[in-house]
Amino acid sequence: MSLTPQVSTEGTLPPPARTGSVILGRQDYLSVLLRLIGMELYKLRRRTMSKVLGILAFAIALIVFLLVSLGTFFVLNTPPETFRASCQGQGSQPTNCSQLSAAQLAQNKQDLLQTVSEPLRLPDSLNLIVQVALPLGAILIVILVGSMAGGEFSLGTVRLMFTRGPTRTQFLLAKVGATLVCTVIGVLLMSITGILSGQLLNLASGIGQNFNFFSAGWSGHMVLYVLAAMLNWSIYAIIAIFFGTLGRSTVAGMMGALMWFLIEAILGGLLNLAGIFSRGPFGDFLKAIPDYFIGNNIGALMQNQEQYIFGASSFSLFNIFGASSSTISNMHALIVLAVYLAAFIGLAWWINERRDVTN
Amino acid sequence: MQENNEALLQSDIVISTSRLTKAFGKLIAVNDLHLQVMRGDVFGFLGPNGSGKTTTIRMLLGLIRPTAGRAVIFGMDVIQHMPSILPRIGAIVETPVFYPYLSGMDNLHVVGAASGMVSGKANQRRIDEVLELVELHAQAKMAYRKYSLGMKQRLGIAAALLTDPELVLLDEPTNGLDPAGMFEIRQLIQRLAALGKTIFLSSHLLNEVQQVCNRVAILQKGNLIKQGNVSELLRGSEQVLVRLNTSEETQQAKLILQEAKERGADWLRAVHVQMDRQGQPTLRIDAPKSCSTEINALLARNNLFAAELHPYEGSLEEIYLQLTTPSIPSGTRIGMAALAGSGTIAQQPEPIPTIETVSEGKGGTR
Repeated sequence: MSLTPQVSTEGTLPPPARTGSVILGRQDYLSVLLRLIGMELYKLRRRTMSKVLGILAFAIALIVFLLVSLGTFFVLNTPPETFRASCQGQGSQPTNCSQLSAAQLAQNKQDLLQTVSEPLRLPDSLNLIVQVALPLGAILIVILVGSMAGGEFSLGTVRLMFTRGPTRTQFLLAKVGATLVCTVIGVLLMSITGILSGQLLNLASGIGQNFNFFSAGWSGHMVLYVLAAMLNWSIYAIIAIFFGTLGRSTVAGMMGALMWFLIEAILGGLLNLAGIFSRGPFGDFLKAIPDYFIGNNIGALMQNQEQYIFGASSFSLFNIFGASSSTISNMHALIVLAVYLAAFIGLAWWINERRDVTN
Repeated sequence: MQENNEALLQSDIVISTSRLTKAFGKLIAVNDLHLQVMRGDVFGFLGPNGSGKTTTIRMLLGLIRPTAGRAVIFGMDVIQHMPSILPRIGAIVETPVFYPYLSGMDNLHVVGAASGMVSGKANQRRIDEVLELVELHAQAKMAYRKYSLGMKQRLGIAAALLTDPELVLLDEPTNGLDPAGMFEIRQLIQRLAALGKTIFLSSHLLNEVQQVCNRVAILQKGNLIKQGNVSELLRGSEQVLVRLNTSEETQQAKLILQEAKERGADWLRAVHVQMDRQGQPTLRIDAPKSCSTEINALLARNNLFAAELHPYEGSLEEIYLQLTTPSIPSGTRIGMAALAGSGTIAQQPEPIPTIETVSEGKGGTR
C-alpha cells in the first residue's frame, strides 16, 4: 500500500470499442466546431427568450411601417380642399390658392401622398428599416447573445460543456458562429419584414413601386450596406460575449454591451462638443477621438454606401450624434472595427482558456 | 519477463497523479497528491467536506489547472492532451446542471452533440438506452426545470454514460437520491464495473463505497492519508472481542496474548482491555478474525475459557473516521454498531465504548 505511486506517461492506453449504439461524427476541428454551432443554435431555438426577441424584432419592423403609413392614410382620407394651404409654401412666387382648380388640388394631394408614402417603397423603406434596426436590433441581439454566453456560467452548464471533449476555444468559436448566424437571420428578418410591410401598406397609396433605381451597382452597394448593418449587430454581440465571459453571468453580458453602446454614443457627442469649444490642436484631438469608436466607424461604413443607394440627403441615425463619420474612410473604419473584434474575441478567448471553472 | 510485466502494469494505469497540487491563494486545496487508478478499478475517493475531492476531480477533467504536479489519464498528460482524454471520460462534477428549458432527452441530444456524437435521430437509440438505464424514460420529455433533485442526478449519470466511456468519474452521484435510488446507483456502478469500466467515485456514503469499491483513497485537508485495497484496509482493522468471566481472567488473558506476541505471533497487532456498558471488562484484540480459533485455543491452553468470542470485520466508516477525525481513538466502534449496545454482539459485536483502553506498550490507562 503505497502513498507515492510512480507516474508514467509511457504507452497511451488505446480506447476500447464503444457500444454499437453510440454513433460518433467526424472529429476533425471544423466538423466539431460546426456541430457545436448547430448545438448552440438548437439551444437558442428552444429558448423562449429567442422566440420573444424574434417576435419583438418582427413587431418592431411592422410597427415602424404602420406608424409611417399613418401619414399616407391621413393624406388619403383628407379632402383635396385641405391642400390649399400647401401653396403658401411657394413664398417667392405667390399663387392665389383660392383659384386652384379641383385638378390642381388633387395634384397637390397626390404630390404630398407621393412624399409621405416614399418611406414605404424601396429603396427608402430599406433605409428606414435598417436605421431602425441598427439600435433596436443591436439591443435585442445583445440580450440574446449576452444570455447565451453568460448563461452558461449563470446556470453552471459550463462544467457540463467543458468536460465533453471539444476545446474551450471551440466552444467560444461556436458561440461566435451562432452569434453571426443570429445576426444574419435577425437583420434579414427585420429588413424583409420591413420592406414587405412597406410594400403592402403602400398599396393603399395607389402609387406603384418604381424600380428605376435598381442596377447591378445598386445591388452591390445595398449588399455592402446590409453587411455593415450586420457588422454593427455582430460587434455589439461579440462585446456581449466578452462581458458575459468576463463577468460569468447573463447580466454582465447584456449590461456590458449595452453600456458600451450608450457610453460610446454619449461620449462621442461630449467629445465633439468639447472639441468645438476647445479650439486648436487639443480641440482637434478631442474631435478625432470618436473616429475610433465603434458606432462612428460603422456609421461611416454605412454612410459611404448610403450615398450610392439613397442619395446624399438620406436620413442616417449616426448623424444625430454629430460625429464626423462621413469623413472616415472605409479602410479606416474596417481596420478600427477589425481591431475591436480581434481585441474582444481575443480577450474572451484568453479569459476562457486561463480561467479555472469553479462554482 | 519482468520488464513485460512492468509494461503491462503501466498500460493498465488509467489515472495517475504525481505531486498534484492546487492552491487558491493561500489556501492549499490539494497538496502533493499521488494517486493511481488501475483499469477496471472501482476507486472510492473519500474525504470530509473541503478535503479537496472535487478540486482533484476538476483538475483531472481540466476544469482547473494544477498549481504544481501533473495528472496523467490513459497515459496522456491532462494539460496537454485534454481533447483526446475527455471523449473517453464520462463525468459528474458536483450536482449536475443542464439547460432548464430543455427536456431531459433534449439535454442529452445537446450533450451528445458536444461529445462528438452525430446530431439528429441517429443517436436516439443510445439516448433511450441511457434513459432506460437510469429509469428516466417516462420523464424523458419533461422539462429539466421540473425534475426533482434525484431525477437531475440520474440525468447527470445518463449524460456521463452517454458515449459509453471507459472511465466514469462520479462526484457524489447519490446526492439527493432516496435509499432505493442509492441502491439502484450502486447496482449500476457494479454493472458498469462488470463491463470493465473504470469508476472513480467520490462519495461521503462509506457504506456504499465499501460495497462497490475495490480500492480507495482517503483525503484530508488536501493531503492523501490513505490509499489501497478496501479488503486490505478492512483486514487491517479486523478485531476479535473476547469476554471472560472475571476481571482477573481478563488481565491474565491480556498478559498471555502479549507474551505470545513477543514470542513471535505477528498476526497479533495489539491487545486492549475495555469496559463495556455494563462495566464488564472485555479484551479487544487487534488481529485477523480468522485467528479467532487460535486465540481461543491459546487461552484454553492456559485454562482461560472465553464466555463470549466475536470476530469483527470492521468497516470503512470506522477506518475513515479514525483517520479523518482525530478525536476518535483507534479501535473505537462507531455508527450503528455502537448504538446497538453490547447485548447485540452475537451478529455484530458491540463496538465497546472506550472508557478504558490499555494499549500495548503503554500499559496504562487513558
